[in-house]
Amino acid sequence: MEFDLNKLKKRPSYPFETIAVGLSFSPRMESVLAEAKKISDVCGSKLILIHVGAKTIEKEKVFSDILFRNNIEEKKVKVIWAEGDEVNTMLQLCKQNIVDLLILGALQKENILKFYLGSIARTISRKAKCSVLLLTNPSKEARPAKKIIVNAGVDHPKTIHSINTALYFAKKMGVKEISLVHEVHSPTLSMAMAESSSAPEVTKMKKEFTEEESNKLHSLIAKCETDDLKINEKVIKGKPGFAIRQYAETKKADLLVINSPDTNLTLLDRIFTHDIEFILADMPCNLLIVHSRI
Amino acid sequence: MLKFLHTDLFSLLITLGVMLIFARLFAEIGKKFKLPVVMGEIFAGVLLGPTVLGAIDPDIFSYLFPKEGSAKIALDGITSISVILLLFVAGLEVQLQLVLKQGKTAIYTSFTSMIIPFALGFCAVWFVPQWFNYETNHRLVYALFFGTAMAISAIPVIAKILLDLNLYKTKVGQIIMAAAIFDDLTGWLMFSLILSMIGKEGEITNVWYTVGMILCFGLFMLFIGKKIIDRALPWIQTKLSWPGGVLSICLGMCFLSAAFTERIGLHAILGAFIMGIAFGDSVHLHEKAREIIHQFVTNIFAPLFFLTLGLKVNFIQNFDVTLVAVVLFLAVFCKLLGASLGAYLGGLSKRESLAVGFGMNARGAMEIILGTLALNAGLIDEKMFVALVVMAIVTSMMSGPLMKKMLN
Repeated sequence: MEFDLNKLKKRPSYPFETIAVGLSFSPRMESVLAEAKKISDVCGSKLILIHVGAKTIEKEKVFSDILFRNNIEEKKVKVIWAEGDEVNTMLQLCKQNIVDLLILGALQKENILKFYLGSIARTISRKAKCSVLLLTNPSKEARPAKKIIVNAGVDHPKTIHSINTALYFAKKMGVKEISLVHEVHSPTLSMAMAESSSAPEVTKMKKEFTEEESNKLHSLIAKCETDDLKINEKVIKGKPGFAIRQYAETKKADLLVINSPDTNLTLLDRIFTHDIEFILADMPCNLLIVHSRI
Repeated sequence: MLKFLHTDLFSLLITLGVMLIFARLFAEIGKKFKLPVVMGEIFAGVLLGPTVLGAIDPDIFSYLFPKEGSAKIALDGITSISVILLLFVAGLEVQLQLVLKQGKTAIYTSFTSMIIPFALGFCAVWFVPQWFNYETNHRLVYALFFGTAMAISAIPVIAKILLDLNLYKTKVGQIIMAAAIFDDLTGWLMFSLILSMIGKEGEITNVWYTVGMILCFGLFMLFIGKKIIDRALPWIQTKLSWPGGVLSICLGMCFLSAAFTERIGLHAILGAFIMGIAFGDSVHLHEKAREIIHQFVTNIFAPLFFLTLGLKVNFIQNFDVTLVAVVLFLAVFCKLLGASLGAYLGGLSKRESLAVGFGMNARGAMEIILGTLALNAGLIDEKMFVALVVMAIVTSMMSGPLMKKMLN
């Protein structure tokens, strides 16, 4: 399959001009499709429906019925039937079609074996060269997201793109409020402080740490395209990935937005779980992984 | 049968009281002069030990630190518990995710700062034995030990230096921490292997058995033990008294794990260290609980342990200038070369790479613990022990100023 990779390089993470949906003929396929249609309608995107697997008459029939029930005209969407390895084929098709957002259904939590070996949706989300929206609880009514939380790691160059993508998505979906959360993790700090610091020194050090991170978050937000959206800023402490997962759970968020991983994640990253792997291990809500292509 | 009499208890309490107060006093004095805490604690031991008090008033020295009897056994027991707890808190800070997260530079730095000092240290003993003083039948174990002593780092002192220099959150700081964590982990695993290789009769026991047991225990704790701890910790921290509950369970598990590894022929420190990793790696361990454990161990057990070093060895009699110079030179050269090379290959500038090298060079308390265990196991003599202590202190003191110079 030939495609021009240059078209993908430095392509902004938003607007979502092309949205693809991975369809697996699972019981939740119709709900995933309904959610995807809603998003493509509000974003004015071209919709591509992809199924990796054998094309059979039964599948075609089920597919036509679902499209009909969801008011999707077959002529207005691009339907791709492809065969081959699910993950690689899906990733290739997304690159070929310059997809900006890939929507997939995903279980909130995989069984332990599947998690370590890597389920299809999660493997795609780790490797994709476009943004990926994992829907854990899709509904046919396509309920709009109300609470959006963005993982705003201030020191990462990708974060500003993720925040702006989240803001774009929120505005399109009619969300009025968005929370930008910065995780602070200070391993070995307690050991360093126990070494020789007095109580006032420890208190001062901790206060300065938190203030410094708050200021960084504030400065970052000032550079974002917030318009009239209400922004909540929050600095939380804990292991990156796990802390925000817990925060999203506690706040009953509808959507969590994070940066795409920096490196190719392997089994080792799941054994020594960190960052995105904590979230993929047990997703607190729908997850938007923004690939900023910088 | 030896009994613990009223007089023994009285003697032990006086000893512990004097040790804790002297250690704190000299640690605080040292702090005023920007010296590592451990240096003040060891200096207190030198003053109270055979080097000074023993020479001035042998009667008081013998009363405070009897050479035999129940009080001596009790004090030895406390010292052994101290080293187990020190390894437990060292394990608490081992977070391998940090190495993976920092990417290429941290991985290169971690490997080269471990492998190059280890290889050079090993070769120095193997090819130039006249520089060192060891029993000829222990050549392999001695070479392995010396390689490990060159490779190990000291997370507490490095973290403190990075905090003081305001480098803790910088890229260089994070790379140093990640590499130090990796070096500590591999260094202590290696050292446990070395200790287990020395049988009770001083003979080398079955290496493959030891390696197999370390791997089995490590993998069990990594995959099963860690999962159990992850599930149990939220319950412990919410349903039991706070912070007493988590403190009791953590330390209880540390002792049980140490007992288990001691029983199966590995050293107790390995069990404590790996249990520390399992607890420290858990996302559910509250930061406050971690702080309390650190405060408890660092301020009560660490001073007792480091002060006893001054009691055990006469630092003046055993100060061998040539050996100290060789150990110090090798330690600085090997670590600087290894860590700087890795950082440079990982993409840092020359000056940043040298800063990483000087940062990783601080050996601090970890080297001293390593030396003490080797001394107790009969692997090294007192002269080598003194050389290692001096090297640990000098490298810790030179680390901060040289890093600062490189980065300015």
